[in-house]
Amino acid sequence: MNIKILDSWLREFLQAKATPKQISQNLSLTSVSIERIQAYKKDFIYDIEVTTNRPDLASVSGIAREASAVLPQFGIDAKYTPPSLSKPKDIKEKTKVTIVNDKTIVNRVCAVAMEVTVKPPPDKITERLLTSDIRSLNNLIDITNYVMRTIGHPTHVFDLDKIGKQTVIIRPSKKGEKIKTLDKKEYILPGGDIIAEDGNGEIIDLLGIMGLANSVVSESTKRILFFLDNNNPSHLRKTSMTLGIRSDAVALNEKGVDPELAMDAFLFGIDLYKKFADAKIISEIIDIYPNKPRLKTISVSKEKIDAVIGIPVSLKTSLEILGNLGFKTKTSGKNIFVIVPSYREKDIAIEEDLIEEIARVYGYHNIPSVLPKISVPKTPALEKNEFFWERRFKEALKYWGFTETYTYSMVSEDLYEGPIEQAVTIKNPLSTDWIYMRKTLVPSLLSVLKENSNRDEVKLFELANVYTKKEHDLPKETLSLAGVIRKPSLSFFEVKGIIEQLLHNAGIDNLSFKKSDSVPGADILIGTAHTGSIEVLDDEVVNFELNFEEIVTHATLKKIYKPIYKYPPVIEDIAIIISEDVPTNEIREEILKQSSLIEDVSLLDTFENTRTFHILYQNPEKNLTSKDIEPIRTRILAALTEKFGAKLKE
Amino acid sequence: MEEALINIKNTALSFILETDDPKNLEEIKLQFLGRGGKLTLAIKEITRLPQEKRREVGMLANEVKQTIENTISERLQKLTQKKHISLSKKLDVTNPGAKPPLGHLHLVTQAIEEITYIFEHIGFSRVRYPEIEWDYYAFTTLNFPKDHPARDDWETFFIKEETNPKMGEILLTPHTSSGQVREMQKKQLPIKMLNIAKCYRRQSDVSHTPMFHQFEGLVMGKDISISHLKGTLDYFVKSYFGEKRQFRIRPYHFQFTEPSFEVDVTCGVCLGKGCKLCKAGWLEMGGAGMVHPNVLKFGGIDSKEFTGFAFGWGVERVLMMKEGIEIDDLRLLYSNKLEFLEQF
Repeated sequence: MNIKILDSWLREFLQAKATPKQISQNLSLTSVSIERIQAYKKDFIYDIEVTTNRPDLASVSGIAREASAVLPQFGIDAKYTPPSLSKPKDIKEKTKVTIVNDKTIVNRVCAVAMEVTVKPPPDKITERLLTSDIRSLNNLIDITNYVMRTIGHPTHVFDLDKIGKQTVIIRPSKKGEKIKTLDKKEYILPGGDIIAEDGNGEIIDLLGIMGLANSVVSESTKRILFFLDNNNPSHLRKTSMTLGIRSDAVALNEKGVDPELAMDAFLFGIDLYKKFADAKIISEIIDIYPNKPRLKTISVSKEKIDAVIGIPVSLKTSLEILGNLGFKTKTSGKNIFVIVPSYREKDIAIEEDLIEEIARVYGYHNIPSVLPKISVPKTPALEKNEFFWERRFKEALKYWGFTETYTYSMVSEDLYEGPIEQAVTIKNPLSTDWIYMRKTLVPSLLSVLKENSNRDEVKLFELANVYTKKEHDLPKETLSLAGVIRKPSLSFFEVKGIIEQLLHNAGIDNLSFKKSDSVPGADILIGTAHTGSIEVLDDEVVNFELNFEEIVTHATLKKIYKPIYKYPPVIEDIAIIISEDVPTNEIREEILKQSSLIEDVSLLDTFENTRTFHILYQNPEKNLTSKDIEPIRTRILAALTEKFGAKLKE
Repeated sequence: MEEALINIKNTALSFILETDDPKNLEEIKLQFLGRGGKLTLAIKEITRLPQEKRREVGMLANEVKQTIENTISERLQKLTQKKHISLSKKLDVTNPGAKPPLGHLHLVTQAIEEITYIFEHIGFSRVRYPEIEWDYYAFTTLNFPKDHPARDDWETFFIKEETNPKMGEILLTPHTSSGQVREMQKKQLPIKMLNIAKCYRRQSDVSHTPMFHQFEGLVMGKDISISHLKGTLDYFVKSYFGEKRQFRIRPYHFQFTEPSFEVDVTCGVCLGKGCKLCKAGWLEMGGAGMVHPNVLKFGGIDSKEFTGFAFGWGVERVLMMKEGIEIDDLRLLYSNKLEFLEQF
């Protein structure tokens, strides 16, 4: 949470020869971040980010106390003057107020009834509240806010005459109970919220969060009940988030405010009502305090402090820092023992917490920067490193003109491929567009294609996880590489060629393509392992998706040297007439079988029922002549005729 | 004999000067100066001359040879020059080049590669852990109390699946820190881990996307201190942002580190002077800290023997902090408009 406070307000509790800029810089480095200083008239406004573990800093006095502890580290003398508080006198117990607490939900309650006069608050208070982004309403309400910002404990004020039996009974709410907050909004309670009723069964307060319309003070208020409640934080957060009510009070309360602070705030408030609302106390001063925190002792050794910080810090310095921060310290040898002040009770529990206190005030900027000199024990082979292959595949696609996309892993029902009951489903999605964890990448790429319909030619790819449900276990996450091409008169073979080259670039050549049964396209196999598929959507769009994990298991950096042939090869093209049902690969393999002198066979051309093969003969030992080739050629033709009924094209 | 030599010279010169083709010059050279060339043969004849004439004729033959050679090389130079001039006249260098295909890697990939390069250089190794994770690794072992707000339905995405008594609910991990305890449980110390992965949080606005990326560093060993965290940070900041940018660490609060820090880097626009885009000259990069003893305990590591530090920052965040990439709506990164993707 952020709070804004005026410099002049801070200096009521802090005596230091430091400019606002110095205060801001030095606090940011060692304590809370002062994100901005803004000039305001002859004054300055600090905008302070208070972290959740330090609710003790969400007030002017809290910041002053902290500043007095850290500024001396920068050579600036600083002194903290706490707010002056005294027990009220002149109490005329004219009326009886009854408070019934439930200690499982509220730690402490302070309350007192007063006769008051409603009038505008003094300018100083109005100005301080306004610069703190708090609305000014009237003196009765403004004082509660002023106390909260000064001391750091939220406070509340009821119109006593609107509380049926002058009784406040604190209890957890039941599900379905209705309330109307002071901003006139109605809510139905989820149950387990901290509420108070007035003895007649009417709910008069949503404790720690917001007052209710039926008990709020107004211009005609004559008597008030000034009321402080220190609550169990977890209940508050749940109520506030479920109902969607956020207030400064709840932001503070849900972090857990020091109950010891309640009495300070209470006394400070009573004093202000006396000064600015002509208040007269008309009831006893009530303080119900069942859950008093126990102060704890923690110890830490100098050795440990030095080890974590990385340089030696003297015991004297450590003791001084802890002492300035309000810890009571003792030493025994090189060990420090501290008693934690109540306002740090929730935050400080172990020796590491104390080291943090010492290190931050000592100044992180005073600690040298040194690279750790450790080396990792195990180094796996580079070819087993999936990140290495990721980079190689992505780069190849980039240099072939592909653009990489990043689409969301969560998809709508439309973009989910497969039975929806089997989908990994988000319980609390932000929208139905993002509800299932995708099982394939292609649908997301096709939707990107659609978004870029102004382009005739698009080549996209993405490498990301896809997810498969497993019963009672984490889903299986598999890296998948998908691509899609849109281009006028695009052929299947353009995409096939890309996949062949991609895998060849990873040392994988034992690829085969099997015609798919369902859609035009092919299944891709490495050896016998199914590795992906190509899908022809129409004569403009073809996509592919590959199991990248499978690829990595086959990818290799192994390189095999073959001696360069001394004698030139003989190259021959043979055109044969053959049924279109025979796959080229089978013909090719049949030709290869016929002689060990056939180095390579490739399809050169297809025209109607004629296919031309490019045959490369090679003898490593000698020059081949047409006499050597002839018998092989005859064997090839005989084999093709016998096996496939092929004929040589004349 | 002298006449014959002069004749050879004249014939050769007229051939040389008549041709416009550099290839012909090669042929002419062979024809006259080659092993069976006219001049070569004539020179062989010199030995048959009477002794007293040989010297004089020999000198003449040499002179003829020199002249032919020189003329050829001069002619070649001239022809080459001529050719260059005519080529040059036809060449308009402002016409477009014939470019090889060049696609685009996504900005996030580019950032991940830069980050990986930097950390690998100082001995970190990349790892990958589940994106869909148990509450146990995302929260419990990171010292998050049961009722911590991060576990709320409005902060983190949960998966429809039975809750496991030990591991809790299944969720989309909101941070790469969920890899910390998994890494420690491998029992391979010391550790220098770099975990870069997709993360998910229930937020979508100009500065948040429900899916984003983080990079997590975890260093664990004997005597690892705040000083080492600062050293690592310093190396990354200077390497990634450039030497002009400074960093600082200041106190912050996280459940799984103690002490905890927020890391700030000076603004790339004002370089620390303070401007509209930053907070008094600083931009927040993300959190870091010394690994909390409770986290070490879950990781099965003795906090008396080993200490460590960790940091986890947004990939998109550090990308936006670089100079020149002030994208006004972060969601653009994942909208996949080609007009956007093709800029990088």
